[in-house]
Amino acid sequence: MKKLLSLAALALLAACEPSAPPPDAYHPSKIDLKSPPAKVTAERHGGAFAEGSALSMGAELKKLDPSPVKTVRLDTTHKVIEIAPGVKFSAWTFGDQVPGPTVRARVGDRIKFVMTNRSDEPAPMPQVVAAPMMHSMDFHAAMVSPQDKYRSIAPGQTIEFEFTANYPGVFMYHCGTPMILEHIASGMYGAVIVEPRGGYPTKADREYIVIQSEFYAKPTKQKVDGAPLYVLDGERLRAAQPTHTVFNGRHNGMVTSPLAARPGERVRMFVLNVGPSKTSSFHVVGTIFDRVWIEGNPDNQLRGMQTVLLGSSNSAIVEYLIPEEGSYIMVDHHFANASQGAIGLVSTEAKPPAKDLEHHNMPASATPTDPDAVAGKLAFESKCLACHSVGGGRKLGPDIAGVTKRRDAAWLTRWLKEPEKMLQTDAAAKAMLKEYNNIPMPNQSLSDAEIKQYLKYFEWIDKQPAGAVKAQGGH
Amino acid sequence: MRAAVTVAGLLLSLQAFACGYCVEDKIAATYDHAVITRALASGHHVVFFHVDGAPVSRAVLEQAASGRGIEKGSARISPDMLTLSVAFDPRRISLVELNAALDRKLAKHKASLLALRVMERPADLAAVKR
Repeated sequence: MKKLLSLAALALLAACEPSAPPPDAYHPSKIDLKSPPAKVTAERHGGAFAEGSALSMGAELKKLDPSPVKTVRLDTTHKVIEIAPGVKFSAWTFGDQVPGPTVRARVGDRIKFVMTNRSDEPAPMPQVVAAPMMHSMDFHAAMVSPQDKYRSIAPGQTIEFEFTANYPGVFMYHCGTPMILEHIASGMYGAVIVEPRGGYPTKADREYIVIQSEFYAKPTKQKVDGAPLYVLDGERLRAAQPTHTVFNGRHNGMVTSPLAARPGERVRMFVLNVGPSKTSSFHVVGTIFDRVWIEGNPDNQLRGMQTVLLGSSNSAIVEYLIPEEGSYIMVDHHFANASQGAIGLVSTEAKPPAKDLEHHNMPASATPTDPDAVAGKLAFESKCLACHSVGGGRKLGPDIAGVTKRRDAAWLTRWLKEPEKMLQTDAAAKAMLKEYNNIPMPNQSLSDAEIKQYLKYFEWIDKQPAGAVKAQGGH
Repeated sequence: MRAAVTVAGLLLSLQAFACGYCVEDKIAATYDHAVITRALASGHHVVFFHVDGAPVSRAVLEQAASGRGIEKGSARISPDMLTLSVAFDPRRISLVELNAALDRKLAKHKASLLALRVMERPADLAAVKR
């Protein structure tokens, strides 16, 4: 019996002994730092601005290309992009788009990168794009000498270099040429997703990337398609006072073109805050982040998060379930940023984007001609589409179609001018607040002239045949 | 002793610019595509200098960046990045002569120029042979 007890005690002791630590996935022996010197030539590439099977061009991510070598081309261009309805901005790009395409790889993969500075190429509107200049590429996913790989190249030059992705994560890339702040704020950024060597520990039904960034835009007297050309506002940039804070390069872009998901599905969202100067408090209304992998690395796991805080160039992967039918609102919970356009939807009602490009067969959406109504339309599409539709039914607030038949002009004027006062004194306003889940209409600090423009637009909407008007705010 | 300190200082200074990143950043600060396109079309070259020594004002550099062989209106200056670039006609003045001429003008301000790169043809930022 005594022997048995001794054996049992020994077994217990053995069980209590600390087990050997798991092998370190990031041990120096597993890190590949080999990278031949970068090569700079005067060979100009003339094909597509972005090339490579590892690239995804939009929010919906392509599956990982299993090839262990990813050849990626991201050329730099200067072009005019629309960051909000009617706001045509003179941008600098990677791959001819803002944000630049997303690169997807796996730990251990070799990235062979090539970039031609094509900022000097003729643009459709040469007078409105920035003058050609030097650019560079800084991959946060790489471990290389910046002096060699991230050097600036002149227009017409091409740089090539390669590196191995050693850490899993969601990494920013950006132009690192001085003034870096200006290059990033002009649109030169994107993301590299590096999956763990063995893949993610969960299975997701949908994968999307959301990149938050700021624009600092001021109008000029130059016109693009009849609208003012906007350029970088250096004063606002240095004071960190953005005019637009957006997801995926577009003010309210994913409100009018929501991301699709079905009830019960697990959504994996790769979130990168580019900045360049603001933090993001990323939140999805109506669900909870089951898992958050800070910086996109499953080793940095948090559970049951409501919000994830991301500084400039910080990232996370958030995974959540879609509990039931509905539209789940992605916002920067710093609501000053959300009100500038950092808002989007993941919706069970979203339809896949139309793949048929036969626009010539589609009737054009009606548009007003009265200058006040046109200004009202632009302002509405810029500021109000997050909460209101035009003929598309209820959202966070009422459908605007028919509003001039439901309320008279004096009531609407007071409502747009001082909604908070109306909510205290006006019975109809109080009833509406109750009907819309106590979400108050924010005071947009509109001038009398702006209110007049809104009303002109609303009146014009209500004179059109039902279904003829579509507000535009998406891609 | 003084000569040794000067040589050591020069070596340190050159070492700082053995870093390609810094060199290209400095060039980017004064890179003007219009100046370069115009200069190369006329058979001129464009040189990018680091401004070494005591701090000098933009006005001093602007005044210095003129004279024989220098293309009028081609000087670009970045006081923050301590960079000066000019277009010049190599048939009228060599790069070595140009560097020496500008150094003579800046000597009274205790400053001098170090040629970093020269552009003799499009999309080719060549290292300066010493």
